[in-house]
Amino acid sequence: MSTTAPLRPAADTELSAEAAALATGPAEHPIHPAHTPTGQLSFGAFFQGVNSSTIWRLPQSGEQVAWESFEALVRTAERGKFAAFFLGEGLRLREHRGVPLEFDVAGRPDAQALLAALAAVTDQIGLVATQNTTYNDPVDLARRFQTLDLLSGGRAGWNVVTTDNAWTGENFRRGGYLDHEDRYVHAEAFVEVAQQFWRGEQIEHDGAHYSVRAQGDLPRSAQGSPVLFQAGASPAGQDFAARTADVIFSPHGTLEAAVDFRRSIVERTVAAGRDASSVKILPGAEVVLAPTEKEADEKIRWVRDLQVGPEQAIALLEQYWGRDLSDFDPEGPLPDVEPEVVESGVTRGAGFQFAKAQELTQQWREEAAEKGQSILEFARVKAGSRRGTFSGSYDAVADRLVEFARLGAIDGLNITPWLIPSGLDDIVDHLIPRLQERGVYPTDYAGSTLRENLGLPPV
Amino acid sequence: MTTTASHLGAHSADTPSADTLSAQEQRPGLPVLAVDLVSDPALLGSFAALAHDLERAGIGALTISDGGLHPIHVASYLAPLTDAIALLPRTDAVYVEPFHLATQLMSLDHISHGRAGWLLTAETDPTVAATVGRTTLGLEDTAREAADVLEASRLVWDSWAEDAVVRDTASGVYVDAARLQYADFEGESFAVRGPAITPRSPQGLLPVLIADADRAAVGGRVATELADGRVLDLDVSTGARPDAVVDTVERALAEDAGPAVRLVRLVGLDLEADPLGTVAELSAALRERGLLAAAPSAGQSLRDQLGLPVAARAADPARRSDRARLNSEDLA
Ligand SMILES: Cc1cc2nc3c(=O)[nH]c(=O)nc-3n(C[C@H](O)[C@H](O)[C@H](O)COP(=O)(O)O)c2cc1C
Repeated sequence: MSTTAPLRPAADTELSAEAAALATGPAEHPIHPAHTPTGQLSFGAFFQGVNSSTIWRLPQSGEQVAWESFEALVRTAERGKFAAFFLGEGLRLREHRGVPLEFDVAGRPDAQALLAALAAVTDQIGLVATQNTTYNDPVDLARRFQTLDLLSGGRAGWNVVTTDNAWTGENFRRGGYLDHEDRYVHAEAFVEVAQQFWRGEQIEHDGAHYSVRAQGDLPRSAQGSPVLFQAGASPAGQDFAARTADVIFSPHGTLEAAVDFRRSIVERTVAAGRDASSVKILPGAEVVLAPTEKEADEKIRWVRDLQVGPEQAIALLEQYWGRDLSDFDPEGPLPDVEPEVVESGVTRGAGFQFAKAQELTQQWREEAAEKGQSILEFARVKAGSRRGTFSGSYDAVADRLVEFARLGAIDGLNITPWLIPSGLDDIVDHLIPRLQERGVYPTDYAGSTLRENLGLPPV
Repeated sequence: MTTTASHLGAHSADTPSADTLSAQEQRPGLPVLAVDLVSDPALLGSFAALAHDLERAGIGALTISDGGLHPIHVASYLAPLTDAIALLPRTDAVYVEPFHLATQLMSLDHISHGRAGWLLTAETDPTVAATVGRTTLGLEDTAREAADVLEASRLVWDSWAEDAVVRDTASGVYVDAARLQYADFEGESFAVRGPAITPRSPQGLLPVLIADADRAAVGGRVATELADGRVLDLDVSTGARPDAVVDTVERALAEDAGPAVRLVRLVGLDLEADPLGTVAELSAALRERGLLAAAPSAGQSLRDQLGLPVAARAADPARRSDRARLNSEDLA
């Protein structure tokens, strides 16, 4: 039943000067000799549920935890032939200095329970849950994913994440038992146990952290087993993805960064003995659209100002300064006090862990002073929506995406709507038809399973 | 342990004596009729139609027993396909991560708009313990663990106030940390810090019921002190005479010792061969004798169906999530 738009071979297309400068290979494989671009894009809708990207201040901002919000969002995504609906996960409420963060959206339902319900009201869209390997039991998680895969007729996906800090571990039996260096060693063993379960095998796993005895006892789903996503940008994370994953949810937004990342993943995938094109790359993206470039500029500023208010600006800096900055004026310059480098960095959220507070804050002070930015202006530029690659006029964004697709830098986008539940409307109504006209986006689902709709080979 | 236990007591509602009731006098406190659905993958194609038919027949609840597919997911799947029937997965409280389990159950309550409950079991099968790398606990430890997991779950469910999400545009506050509290549960074999990663669910505290089949395993404390009531199990796998069923239910309701019967659960039905016949017949017979609560209406919560009061939140100032800030301000 595939009605995918005719594929335009990347070899036939001429690259722009910018893209040509980034391409190093011959025309048929511009980024890496082993990789042949499909020239096609798949979209995922990423319900974030934390962070400042979701605007909660508008009258049309829906409830973050209400079933109606999720149902409306997923229906729009399915109308737009999105390959997947994607949920993030955080196993402890984010805190700052021992107090839960108050200024951003927070609180979401269990990802798999919600997706099982969404399976009942959708037919074709993939349902992807972010689930952690450090604080789950592999057989329990595998059984739940296989249940979701069976209930949805082969539409389940698992975004494998490895968050391992002891602070999150305070909610779990094992606590902070895993060294950060071992997160992917552990994750790989965990995924292997899950795959054994999905194959219906007998499991006798004796690892460094636990022993498991189990027997896979469920039938296989229409797609064989859930699609594996991976989100983790470190070299260890990339190698894990190259060996194990079907799709990478990457953080790379610019064409240059995306090209570098593709090259790195292709090299690692080939080194792992897999086909160069076997791992799809879907960077996370925020998409702000308007009919013209001028209107888009205004809209991006409007979105950004709603995303990051004065309290959020101070709170953002506090996460890096590690101390109370509430006496500073959001309209004034960046704080001239030194950061407190406390070892409880993990409580400041995943983004912070590896940044060096001293260096970073000094750099930020200089940057803001140079540009004459207040705390609020600076925070809005850092945390708010940007005049990024995927925002602009309908036509400009469509043209840029065509370039990404032809060059083979990405296989699609995982889009975070900045408004729930209407944040995908203009993407579906205005951007997708333009991408379809340009031949880079499917006009219908290729099949009924997530694997088919991502263009992945059967297991 | 730093838990407050004020809200953890059993609800010892008086059991109505059967002979004082008539069909016209149905009132809260009468049990709800439940049909047990086994989460067998062979039934995948039938779940939706079965739930729909049972709801249309006025059946109050579906319990979902583990037949391979995860019962909480099957219940979640059925939630948007129904709007009145309650959904109670029957799941283990022992060989689980308590925080995940509590989150999953309260999420089912969100998805079903307050129709979720928990048929708590305590696993005794050694092969289940081995799937999570644990060894089977003895009877006493099993009961203690089940009690701990139930208490921890309730503390997680109760950790957000109803009005914690304030969305105050003037102050820029989305969620008020003063209206959240840590669970701070410390049991013998695990601890849960909290607060929940999910806002308070519609019922706040999900009804927790113990089936007769599980009474021995969960132990006396869970079955009689902590749970919200008893589930009278009626095995109808070899057929059921309506008058015999009526007798059994009447006798169980007349007992004045032990926890109140909140649910009458039909187990062992071959729902594919006989999707509605037996259920409808037994339901009619029980209803005629005034032994069943009224059929649920759309959007009715399970607590309401069962005659349980709205769960009031047990706020505990010592566990408030903004205590770190309060302390530092007090010191200043
Ligand atoms: C785009 C993206 C999305 C992520 N989403 C989540 C998430 O929802 N939950 C989570 O626990 N971790 C999430 N992570 C964190 C990863 O699981 C991983 O722990 C982290 O990136 C550190 O791994 P690394 O050292 O390989 O980068 C995400 C990471 C990326 C890059």
